[in-house]
Amino acid sequence: PAGPGGVAVPRAGLKKLALPPDYSGISIPEKPKLKFMDKVPAVPKVQREPRRLRDIRGPSQVATDFTQGQYGILALGGGYLHWGHFEMIRLTIGRSIDPKSMFAVWRVPAPSKPVTRKSLGHRMGGGKGPVDHFVTAVKSGRLVVEVGGRCEFGEVRPFLARVAQKLPFPAVPVSRESLQEMRWEEEEKRLNNQNPWTFERVVASNMLGMRKYLSPYDLRLKGRYWGKFFLKHRV
Amino acid sequence: SPGQRPVPVLSAVPAAWLPALQLLRRGSKAVTRHWKAMHFQRQKLLALTEYLPPRPAVPPRCLPRRAPEGQQEDGYARVLRRQVEQTLRGSRMVAVCQFSSMADEDVATLRHFLRRHNIHVHFVLNEVVRPVLAQSRLRALLPLFVCRNILLVSPEAPAREMLRVLRGVPQVNLLGACIDDTILSRQGVENFARLPPLEVSQGQTVAALSLLSSQTSSLLQRGPAHLTALLDEHIRRLRGSGGSAGPPPGRGTGNH
Repeated sequence: PAGPGGVAVPRAGLKKLALPPDYSGISIPEKPKLKFMDKVPAVPKVQREPRRLRDIRGPSQVATDFTQGQYGILALGGGYLHWGHFEMIRLTIGRSIDPKSMFAVWRVPAPSKPVTRKSLGHRMGGGKGPVDHFVTAVKSGRLVVEVGGRCEFGEVRPFLARVAQKLPFPAVPVSRESLQEMRWEEEEKRLNNQNPWTFERVVASNMLGMRKYLSPYDLRLKGRYWGKFFLKHRV
Repeated sequence: SPGQRPVPVLSAVPAAWLPALQLLRRGSKAVTRHWKAMHFQRQKLLALTEYLPPRPAVPPRCLPRRAPEGQQEDGYARVLRRQVEQTLRGSRMVAVCQFSSMADEDVATLRHFLRRHNIHVHFVLNEVVRPVLAQSRLRALLPLFVCRNILLVSPEAPAREMLRVLRGVPQVNLLGACIDDTILSRQGVENFARLPPLEVSQGQTVAALSLLSSQTSSLLQRGPAHLTALLDEHIRRLRGSGGSAGPPPGRGTGNH
C-alpha cells in the first residue's frame, strides 16, 4: 500500500503461528556431556613415528556424515588437535548445553599420534627429538563434534561458532540440512560451470605438460586442496 | 534439488603419461603450516580454470517473481474468514470506514455509542476479508479494502444515528456501505439517512393510492349538494324580500 508521496507504508499482516518442532524420535543418551579425552594414550608409543603429513592433506573419508546428533562442527581445512583443543571443546560445549535435553558426541578419536620436539636453542642434528605431546589428525570435510537433542540450530549455532573459531583449522557449525545444502550447492556449481577448461580435465590429459608443475596427488585433489588448506571457492 | 544424487560422469579423456622429471627443487614439503607459494604455471592454471557462473540472456531479477511455494493454508485465517462470512450474512447493513489510529479509550467510547444503536464494530484484516468479498455479492466494495479499515455491521439500518456518531469522530471516515443489498457510496448513505422512516413512507404511499377513491363519494354528491345550496340561497332571498305568502314552490321539485 502506498502512503503519501508514493512511499510504501509497511503493515503487519496476520501473524503466522508456526507449530512447535517435533522432537518425538530423539532420545538423550545416559552421558550427555562430552567424554574426557586423555592427553596421552593408555599405552604410549615409545617408537617415534615419522611426521606423515599426508594425514592432513586432502578430503576426509571418515566421519563425513551425521550419526547421532543433528548439529555439528565441520572442519574446512586440515590440522592437528591436541589436548588443549579437546579440553576447550569439552568445557565450552559442556557449559553451553543443557544435559537434560541436549547431548554431545565426539567424532574424532583421542590423541594418538606422537609429535616430537627438540629442546629449544640447540643446533640441528643429534637424532630425532623425544615425544612432546600427542595429537589427532583432522582432514577437511570431517565432523569434529556432534550435538543433538531437543534444540534448534539457532540455539546451538552461537556456541558452536565460538568453538569453531578457536580450532586450528577453519571450521563452521552445520546442521543436517545445511550440510546437505552445502553439498548440493557444490554439485550445482560443478554442473553449471560455464568454463570449458576444468582443473580435472587439464590434469587428467596433461594438457600443455601441466603435470610437470603439479603433484600426482592433484589428480585426486583436483585443485580444491593446497597443502592442508581447502579452497572453498574452487569448483 | 538437494534430494537427488548426482550421477558421476566418466571422463572420456585417456589416461595421461607421467612426466619423466618431477619439479622438486626448493625447500618445504607439500603440507606446510604457511600458505606455500605456488608455481606460476600452477597459478595460471588455477586462474584459467576458475568457476564461471551461468549468465542467462534475461537476468532473473527482470522476470516476474513467482509466489513462494509451500505456503500452507493458515487455520487461523480460515477461522477468521468464516467469522467474517457469518457476520456479513447475518447483517442488513454493512458499512466500511477508514480507520486512523485512535487512543484505546476513544475506540471504546466509539464502540459504546455505536452499540447503543445496535451497530457492531469489527476490525478486519484485508488479507482475510478480500477473498471472502470476492466470492460474495459485495464484490463492488473490494477496492475500498486497502489500508486500515473497520466494518460497522448491524441487523437493522440506523444510518442517521451512525452518521451522527461518526461525524463526531474525525479519525473514522465512512467510505461506502451495503444497506439492504444495495451498494451505497458516502453520498448515498447520507441521502438514505435523510429519507423518512418506513411507517411514514408507507402511510404516504397508502394515502396517495387511496386519494382518488376517497374523492369518489364527494364527486357523486357534488351535484345534489350544489342544488341544495342554490335552493337555500333562493329561500333566503325570498324570506329577505319580505315574508312570502305560501311555501316556496321549489320544495316539491327538490323531492324528485
